[in-house]
Amino acid sequence: MRTNVITKRCLSSHRFCTRLYSTSSRARHREVISAKNASVNAFVSVSEPSSSHVSRDGSKGLPLSGLTVAIKDNIATSQMSTTCSSAMLQNFTSPFDATVVELLIQNGVDIIGKTNCDEFGMGSLNVHSVHGPVKNPLGLFQDPPEERSAGGSSGGSAAAVAAGMCDAALGTDTGGSVRLPASYCGIVGLKPSYGLISRWGVVSYADSLDCVGVLASNVEVTQRVFERIAAHDTNDPTSAPQAIRYKARQQVEELFPSASTSTPSSKPTDDTSILKRLRIGIPQEYFPAELSSTILDQLRTLIHTLQIRGGATIVPVSLPTTAYALSSYYVLASAEASSNLARYDGVRYGSYEAPGPETDLTKTSSVYARTRSVNFGKEVKKRILLGTYALSADAFDNYFLQAQRIRQLIKNDFDRVFRIPNFFSDQTHQNTRDTNTETSQPKVDVLLHPSAIRTAPLLSDSESESADSLSAYVQDVLTVPASLGGLPALSVPMGVSGKEGFRWPVGASIVGQWGTDELVLAVGRAVERLQAGRCSS
Amino acid sequence: MSLFVRRVSLGKRAFHDIRTYKEDPRWPGWQVVVGIETHAQIKSRRKLFSETLTSSLNDPPNTHVSPFDAAYPGTLPKVNSKCVDLALRTALALKCRVSRRSSFDRKHYFYPDLPAGYQITQHYSPIATDGTLEIAIAESSPIRVRIKQIQLEQDTAKSTFDPRTSNSYIDLSRAGTGLMEIVSEADMRSPEEAGAYVRTLQSVLRAVGSSDGNMEQGSLRCDVNVSVNRKGDPPGTRCEIKNLNSVKFMMAAITHEVKRQSDFLTANPGLAVPQETRGFDENTFETFRLRSKEDAPDYRYMPDPNLGTLVLSEGRIEEIKQTLPPLPWEIRARLLEKYPTLQGKQQSLDVLLNVDSGREVPFDGENKGGAVQYFERLTHDLLGQLAARQETFSANTLTAEQFGELVDLVQDKTITGTSGKLLLRHMLANPSPRSAKEVASELDLIALDSASSSGSSASSELEELCKAAITALPSEAAAFKAGNKNVLNKIVGYVMKKSRGRADAGAAKNMVEKLIKDDDSS
Repeated sequence: MRTNVITKRCLSSHRFCTRLYSTSSRARHREVISAKNASVNAFVSVSEPSSSHVSRDGSKGLPLSGLTVAIKDNIATSQMSTTCSSAMLQNFTSPFDATVVELLIQNGVDIIGKTNCDEFGMGSLNVHSVHGPVKNPLGLFQDPPEERSAGGSSGGSAAAVAAGMCDAALGTDTGGSVRLPASYCGIVGLKPSYGLISRWGVVSYADSLDCVGVLASNVEVTQRVFERIAAHDTNDPTSAPQAIRYKARQQVEELFPSASTSTPSSKPTDDTSILKRLRIGIPQEYFPAELSSTILDQLRTLIHTLQIRGGATIVPVSLPTTAYALSSYYVLASAEASSNLARYDGVRYGSYEAPGPETDLTKTSSVYARTRSVNFGKEVKKRILLGTYALSADAFDNYFLQAQRIRQLIKNDFDRVFRIPNFFSDQTHQNTRDTNTETSQPKVDVLLHPSAIRTAPLLSDSESESADSLSAYVQDVLTVPASLGGLPALSVPMGVSGKEGFRWPVGASIVGQWGTDELVLAVGRAVERLQAGRCSS
Repeated sequence: MSLFVRRVSLGKRAFHDIRTYKEDPRWPGWQVVVGIETHAQIKSRRKLFSETLTSSLNDPPNTHVSPFDAAYPGTLPKVNSKCVDLALRTALALKCRVSRRSSFDRKHYFYPDLPAGYQITQHYSPIATDGTLEIAIAESSPIRVRIKQIQLEQDTAKSTFDPRTSNSYIDLSRAGTGLMEIVSEADMRSPEEAGAYVRTLQSVLRAVGSSDGNMEQGSLRCDVNVSVNRKGDPPGTRCEIKNLNSVKFMMAAITHEVKRQSDFLTANPGLAVPQETRGFDENTFETFRLRSKEDAPDYRYMPDPNLGTLVLSEGRIEEIKQTLPPLPWEIRARLLEKYPTLQGKQQSLDVLLNVDSGREVPFDGENKGGAVQYFERLTHDLLGQLAARQETFSANTLTAEQFGELVDLVQDKTITGTSGKLLLRHMLANPSPRSAKEVASELDLIALDSASSSGSSASSELEELCKAAITALPSEAAAFKAGNKNVLNKIVGYVMKKSRGRADAGAAKNMVEKLIKDDDSS
C-alpha cells in the first residue's frame, strides 16, 4: 500500500478544523501567513486582528465563530483594497462590502485577508497578476522544493487554504477558477449553482458565468461556509428566488432523504450510505487525448471504489455538445469582459496615464487608450480585444449569437441526463422535457469526471506556455461546461498521482443538476470517506 | 444598364407612401420626410436601476449618486417597477403592442458621461412596438403617426465644458435616470407636423403622468431624421439632427435641413445626400455636421447578462389599462358626444384642453386623477351652466385662462370642488377680467385646510367650526365616542354646511375624530 501523503494532510487538517476552533486559530493563521506568505504569495493584504469586525466577543456563539476566511481580491471589502490583481485598481478600495463578506462577518467569521488571483479572474495558472504569481505551497515545502502553479484564477485562495493560512477561502469561478486551483492544491473547491450566492460586490468578469465559490481543506468546512452565504439577495438581479431553491432542494430530499441534512458531522458513519441509491454518470466526452494517463487511472480507481464499496450505480452517459463548450465559453466570457471592463479607463477608475506628447487629444479615445494599454495585463487585453470583436456588428451573429446557441445546447445536454429537472432554466425547460421522452438515455443524479487534465504545472513551464497560449485554455476543457450550464460542481482530491515518489494531487469533479448543491456535497463527503477508509486500511 | 433601370423602378414601386404628396410653397416640387426619436425622462422618484432618488435641475451636482450610478466595480442593476409601469401607461396611451417579454441590452461607447462605458437600453426586444398617435393639424384633417417602438433606457450623466478653464465637469446625478425612447416612423411631412407631433406627445405623456415632457428643462429631448426627395421619387438619404431641446429649434432645424438637402440635390444631380449625423446651432439656426456615416460608432450591442427577461403578466398590463388616466382625446370625444353644439368650435375646446400643460406631473404616476379629470368635471359644469343660461360655448365670457386657473384652484385644493362650481357660476354671471383666484378670495371661498391659504389660522378656523359642531350636537358626539361610526357623517355634514362648502370633507372628518378622541383622553 502506497502512502497517501495528500489525503493524510487533508485528514489532519480536518481534525484540526473540527476540534481546534478557538480564538487562537486566528492568531496562528496570521503566524503562518507571516512565515510563509513571502514565498507562497497567496495574500495581497492581511487584516489587522484587532480590526473592527474581527474579534468582537459578541461573535462567539455564531455559526461560523472562530473560522478564519480569506477573500479573493476581486470581491469588494470596505476595510481592505480590492485590486483584482490589476494595476488598474491597485489603489482601489470599495465603499461597500460585498454581500458575501457581510454574511460571513454576520456569522462570526474572521476575514483574515485578501488573496491573489489572475487579473480580473482571467487565467488558469494565477500567473497574470500585478502581485506576481502564486506558488503552490505543496511544492515549496517539499524536498527538494519545486515552484509549481497553484492554478487559477483563484490561486491565492487555494494556496492560502493548502498552506494552512486560513480555514476556508472564497474564490470566484467563471470557467473553473475555483475547481482548478483546488485540484492543483489538493483541497476541496465548490462552484455552487449559478444564482445561489449573491454577486453584489463581486467585480464582474462575465456576469452570466461568474459564481462565488468556496475553498477549504475538506467538504465539511466547505459546506458550512456555503450554507451561510447561499442566500437570496435583492441586490443581485440574478439571485435565484427562494421558491426555486426550495423546489430543487425538495427534489433532492425526496430522492435522498439523508443528503439534505445540514449537520453532516453528527453522523459521519452514514456518509457513504447515500451512494446506494445514487446513479453516477460518467460523461464519455470528458476524457480528451490531453488527459494524463495517471489521472485516468486514479479516476478508474475512484469509480471502482464508489461502485464496489459504496454500492453506487455507474452509468456511462454522453453530452455530445461538450466539444464546442470551450469555444462558446471564450466568446461569451470575453464578450462580457470587454463590456464589464469598459469602465476602467483612467478617468473614472484606474490609475491615469497621461498620453504622450504626440497624441491627438481631440479624440477622446486616445486619452483612454494609453491608460488601458499600460494598466491592463496581457491576458486581459487579449480577452477584451477578442470580446470587442465578437460584439462588433459584423461578427455578432457568427460569434456571440452562435456561442449563445451552443450554450443552450450544452444546457439541454445536461438536462437530458439528469433525473432531477432544471428549475432555474427559462422557457426552454418545456422543450427539453419533450426531447427527454424520445431519447432513452438512462438518467443520473450526478456526473463524475477528472477536474483537470494534468497536475499542477511548473511555473517555469507555464511561462513558455503563454507563448503557445492554447494549451493554457485546454486546461479549462473539463470545467467550462458546468459553468455554461450554471450547475454545481465540486472538486475533491483524488489522492496521489503517479506510481513512485511523485505526489502531486488532482481532483475529481462531481457535477449535479441546478440547485442540487447539497447532493453534490454529500457525494463529495462520501468520496472523502471512502478514500480515507482506503488509505487507512 | 438594364439592371440599373430595373432597380430604380423596383425602388419606386417598393416605396408606398402612406401620405399623399402636398405641395409646400416654401419648397415646391420637394417632398420632406421626417421621423422623430424622443427621449422622455420618466417621472419617477427613483432611478431606473438603482434606489437613488432622481434629481431636479436645482440640486447641486453629484448629490444623487449611489455606487451603482457611478458604476463602482461589483454593483448590479435592479429594475424599478414603477418606471416599467409608467412606460406601460405610455405604451397603452400610444396604442402600442406591449411585449409580454422584453429584454435589456448594453450599448457601448467611451464617453465620460457614461460611467459604466455602456448604456443599458432595449435594442433587440423593446417593451412596446407598433403604436399610433393621431395629431390634430390646424385647418386640416388630423394625421396619424405610427410609433415604431418604445424602449426603456438609462439617461447619461451631464457633462459641461468650461471653455475659459478648458475643464470638463461631470454631474452624475442624472446618470441612470429612467428614459423612454419613443421612436416614430417617418410619417411627418413638414416642420409644422413635426412640431405638432411633439406637442401632442407631450400632452399624452403629461396626461398619463409618465413624464414632465419639458423640452426646455431637458426632460424631453428630440433627435430628428430628415430626408428630402423630388415629388414622386423614393425617399432620399436621411440625416439625423441630434439633441434638439425646444419645438421651435426642432422646426427651425428641419427647415434648414430641407433647404440644405434640396440645394445639395439641385447642385449635384444624380448624387444622394451624404448620410450624416448633424447638430443644430441655436445662434445661426443652422445645422452642422457632427460625423459622417463612415465615422458612425459600432455600439457593440450585447444582451445585458444581469437583467434577463422582463416578463409582464397579462394581469399587470390589464391593471395598468384599467387605471390609465383619461387621455386628452378621450375627454374631447366625451364632451363632443355629450354636447353636440361644441362641434365646429373644436378650436376653443383644444385651447381649454391645453390648460393642463405647465402643471406639475406627480411622481411615479401617483395621484392619478390629475388636472385633466378636474378639467373634465368642470367643463361639464361649464357647459351645463351655459346651457342653463342659454348661452353658446363660443359666446361664453369666461376666458380659457380664467377657466384654466379655476381648474388649478380645485386641483391644488385651494378651493373645494363645491366652491369651484359656485365660483364658476358666479364668474359666468358676473363677467370680469379678474383672475379666478381674486374672485375666489373676494367670495371667501378659499378652502379651510388649504396649504396655499394662510395655513395655521385657516386650519384653526376649521377647528373652531368642528368644535362648534361637536358642541351643537352633543348626543351625536357621545354616540360616536361610544363607537357608533355612522353618526360621524352627521357631525361632518354640520361642519360642511356652516363652512359654506369651504371645508374639505376629509379634513373635517379627521378633525372631528381627533377632537373627540383628544377630549376622551384628557
